[in-house]
Amino acid sequence: MIEFKDTTIGYTSPLLEIDNMCLEIGNVYVLIGKNGIGKSTFLRSINGEINPIQGEIQIGGQISNKLSNSIRAKTLSFTAAGFKGIPFLSTFDYVALGRTPHTGLLGRLNEVDKEQIQRSLEITGISHLTQRYTDQLSDGERQLATIAKSLAQQTPIILLDEPSAFLDYLNKRTLMQTLKRIATEENKCIVLSSHDLDICLEVGTPILLIDQRLKRIHIAEENASKASVIQQAFGIE
Amino acid sequence: MLGLSIWHLNAGQLGIGVGEFWTAILDGGNSTKEIIAREFRIPRMITALIAGGGLAVAGMIMQTLFNNPLAGPYVLGISSGSSLFVALCTMSGIPLLQSNLGVVGGAFIGALVFGGIILFFSFFIRSSVSLLLVGLMLGSFTGSLINILEATSAASELKSFAMWTMGSLQNVQFSDLTILLSIYLPSLFLLVLLVKPLNALLLGEQEAQQLGLNIKIVRISCIAVTALFTGLITAFCGPIAFVGLAVPNVSRLIFRTQNHRILLPANLLIGASFILFGDILIQLLERTVILPINVFTSLLGAPIVIFIILKRMK
Repeated sequence: MIEFKDTTIGYTSPLLEIDNMCLEIGNVYVLIGKNGIGKSTFLRSINGEINPIQGEIQIGGQISNKLSNSIRAKTLSFTAAGFKGIPFLSTFDYVALGRTPHTGLLGRLNEVDKEQIQRSLEITGISHLTQRYTDQLSDGERQLATIAKSLAQQTPIILLDEPSAFLDYLNKRTLMQTLKRIATEENKCIVLSSHDLDICLEVGTPILLIDQRLKRIHIAEENASKASVIQQAFGIE
Repeated sequence: MLGLSIWHLNAGQLGIGVGEFWTAILDGGNSTKEIIAREFRIPRMITALIAGGGLAVAGMIMQTLFNNPLAGPYVLGISSGSSLFVALCTMSGIPLLQSNLGVVGGAFIGALVFGGIILFFSFFIRSSVSLLLVGLMLGSFTGSLINILEATSAASELKSFAMWTMGSLQNVQFSDLTILLSIYLPSLFLLVLLVKPLNALLLGEQEAQQLGLNIKIVRISCIAVTALFTGLITAFCGPIAFVGLAVPNVSRLIFRTQNHRILLPANLLIGASFILFGDILIQLLERTVILPINVFTSLLGAPIVIFIILKRMK
């Protein structure tokens, strides 16, 4: 689904190199790396906001930064870190915004839209919160709402920047399990950045490792030990 | 609002019956009452509706675009642009520019020019807060320019400018209504097209773009509509303060939603009702003291803004 071909990413100067790799539908890929090494830049490059310095990133065979706005909005959803909620914006209205690429000029929701919103709320388990304002949700609930919005957008690729920040242990685990279930059952390719290595290893999701020494991203071997991942990502023995 | 409109029509010193309003509009009757109804009461009522609704909607658009409940046409320097051009006109000493037409034209062009300046900056400045600051700076910069003009102008010109800045709904004649309505009503239909982008903009420009919007076009349309409304209303009524700032916040508090499909009509209604109510009070007090509309909008508007801030702090 997402294919990298001798890609180097960065804003003006090269930041990270990416091996030739392919991220497939049905998986949750967790991006692990040091602070400031370029996790968000990586996600934004996939999203086509930042042009790769070298090589290209292909989304389903098309070059990512050449997608038109409307096609991109139906292919990729990206949720930045730290949505704090908006007063008087109900959870339903928030999730409904995910339908924006699919609605007409006037933005009216038809039956299909409403069905999709309801389904997204059910999958994420927040159907009971639809009338609550987004600034009154707990951190965990709000995070689920952002994922529901991405689901409502019906994109094959979902990018999430640190979705598990600010969550407690239990919520982090539930979130990762929910995402894994969504990826397999709904056929999504989910890429997220995280600092919760333990939980990722526990839930068993593929890890996109950013090697801090080589400034290179690759998929960690399936049975890689925690120690070796930490060694490569953070340089600690 | 309908009730307020009817009350407003009847708020003058002379009692006019319903029948006389109808004949005044339909048959063009020529009795004193009918002329007053046609030339003063009806234009004043419709002007109040347009000014209140238009400014409230302009404020709503700015607040959503800049993700800031304190934004408004007033804060962005668009009103200041109108004031500067009107000051230039009234103090130019050229009779044509000093006439009603010159003032109206000046105010309108001023708003569009300053709307254009803000738009120009918006291409370079990505952060909305910075753009808002630029608007504020523009506002105080033009404020000083106006002060210089005032310091160097003759007393009579100074007074006519000062009167203009206080705002009034009485300068609109029946014939002006055609201009006002022919710009205002079609714009309202275009506004319906902004509902979807405005809703997406709640999440910030970056995410709105992610949802498939062309953010540049959205920005241009938002600022253009605001400049158009502010320019039109300021041209005929003078700079009316606070409506654009207070009413959108009040609408959100009353309807407890961020959905612009509801907020758009809500702002039109509440804004219009707000100005109607203020103008009714003015007419009721007319026998004792003559007050400009700006006194009322700020007098009512300021406590409302304080109330909102207190409520937000909780």
